[in-house]
Order: sequence, then C-alpha cells, then structure tokens
Amino acid sequence: MIGDSSYDRMLQECLKGELRIVNAGLPQNRKSLSSLLGEEYPHVKCSDSSVHSFKRKELEYLASLINANEQVALLLPILIELGANKAEAAIICQTGIEEEIISKILNMPAQPQNGRITIYKPQLTLLRRVLKTTTQYIFTQKILK
Amino acid sequence: MSQLIKVRPTKIELVKLKRKLTLAQRVQKIVKDRLSILTMEFLQTARDTIEAKKNLVDSFSSAYKALSIASGYHGYIALEKELIASETDLRITASSRNIAGVRIPSFEITGKEKEKPIRRYNLSDTSSWVDHTTQLYKRCLKHTVELAELQRSLELLGMEINRTKRITNALEHMIIPSLEVTINYLNMKFEERDREEKARLKRVKVLLAQ
Repeated sequence: MIGDSSYDRMLQECLKGELRIVNAGLPQNRKSLSSLLGEEYPHVKCSDSSVHSFKRKELEYLASLINANEQVALLLPILIELGANKAEAAIICQTGIEEEIISKILNMPAQPQNGRITIYKPQLTLLRRVLKTTTQYIFTQKILK
Repeated sequence: MSQLIKVRPTKIELVKLKRKLTLAQRVQKIVKDRLSILTMEFLQTARDTIEAKKNLVDSFSSAYKALSIASGYHGYIALEKELIASETDLRITASSRNIAGVRIPSFEITGKEKEKPIRRYNLSDTSSWVDHTTQLYKRCLKHTVELAELQRSLELLGMEINRTKRITNALEHMIIPSLEVTINYLNMKFEERDREEKARLKRVKVLLAQ
C-alpha cells in the first residue's frame, strides 16, 4: 500500500508544476511585425517574465510575404493551438493576415473557421521549419475536457 | 502491479480520490500532447543539425583548400601579416525562445560585420584568393553559430523529452492505476457494508417477528 505521505504530495506538486510549465512561455502581449522590425533586438515578454526573441531573418521573410499595411496589423508570435485531436492543430487567426501567410508558406488554400485555421501535423512541421521563432504553441482548455 | 493507496474507507476519501483521478487524467492528456510536440520538434531539430553539420564540414573543407592555395600563392608569413591586420570582434546576440515550455537558446550574428563586410587587409598587395578565403571563412562562422544553437536545442529537447516520458509513464503505470484500484476497492467496501447492513436488518426483522 502506498502511504498518503510525502510521496503523494510530491506527485501532486509534480502534476501542478506540469500544468504551470505548458503555458508559461506564452507572450504577455503580442507586437506587430512592423514594430518588431524597428527594434534592435526584436522580442516579446512572456507570462513567466522571460523573453521570447525573434530572428530578424524570419521577420524579414514574413515582411516579404505581406504588404506594409498588413505588417502593421499582423501580431506576432502567431499562436498555434493544440486541441484534443492529436492529429490536428489550429492556428489562431485574428486579423486574417495569418491566413494569407499560411497559404503562401504551405502552398495551399487556408480557410479559417471560427477564427482558426486547422492544419495537420505534417503541415505543422513544414510551418515550424520556416517560422521557428515567430510561432508559438498554446495548450488550451479544450484538451482538458 | 498497481498498489492500493492507504486511505480511510469513507465517502469523503472516495470523492477526494475521484477528484485526484480526474486531475491525473487531465494532466496525462496535456503531458502526452506536449510529448508529441516535443518529439516532433526534436526530430526536426535533429534533421536541421545533420544538415548544419554537413554544411559546416563542407564549408570548412572548401575554406581550408582556399587557405592552402592562398598561402601557397603569397607565402605563409606574408599571408599571416595581412590576416593579423584583418582581425575583428565578432558580435553574437544570444537570446532564448520557448518551445512548449522548454527554453531554447537562440544565437544570431549581429553588428556591422554581418551587414557590410570590411576587408582590413591591403587589397593592392593581396590576390583574389585571399578575398575568396575570407568569404569562405565567414560562411564557416555563420554555420558554426547555427550548429551551436541547434546542438544545444537538441540536448535541451532530449532532456525534456526524457523528463516528460518519465512523468507520462508514472501517470500511466503508477498513479492512475493505483487511484482506479483504490476507488474500486472503496466502492466494493461500501457495497459490502450495504449488504451487511441489509442482512443485519433482515435478521432483526426475523427476530422481531418471533
């Protein structure tokens, strides 16, 4: 029999810690592509007060895909939502510019449904290969249900 | 084999255990999802590392060849004299990024050297071989920084995958089964109590009837 002792408490702490870790690196506030391009060290602050930095090469690549007005509207990092379905991931599409970027990178039409573009894991790999620092994973409540 | 958790056989404990089980199952879902993402990132980083290593070896090999030709053309001492003058400070920006809760280092060559390469050696005294060698070594530098980032990322992702796997295994093979077994045990105990109570009441009824 396992006692309800320090071992049990340790497991509980471990579980709580795991819940804290997954979304600790989410940005406090997102910045527009144009403002990031103007910064010397482009970065955003995360909720655990750490810094998530962007590679200038990636920002310049994104800027080459869209026009100047869209650069002002596009907020970075682009959030990739992981849901209950393990085969799929959803890109949160708030401004509609994400749709254009995704379709250009993946070379396929992307249609947002309820503000989200659903992509499959192989497509996610392709996307992450190109946009390593400008995309970020988010674990939502959907997984918990 | 899953073990029973030492608890008092009360309804309150049963409710507590059921809550713990729900929490453990939720965490298991998150941890498994995180593990799949980390594995995907690890594999991608491994592929990139192989490519970066190949690029580094290729660029160093061509740079060494170019250097040997340049030193043969100018003579070693003359070439060394020119290259000493061209020494500059390298500026690398080190920062970090987050992948599903793992802090990954990010290195980038910054500064004027990246934008506008300045050749500090005497251009009139040197041949185009030196220019070619300088260009090739600059490429080597870029690949070295790239590989450093990728290798460290690979290490960190590997460590995190191991840690997450241990948690997944603990949840899958230890915590959840033991909670389920204990809940079943308590349910059976309560059913047994109910049956005992019924039997006792029947016996009392019979005694009262006599």
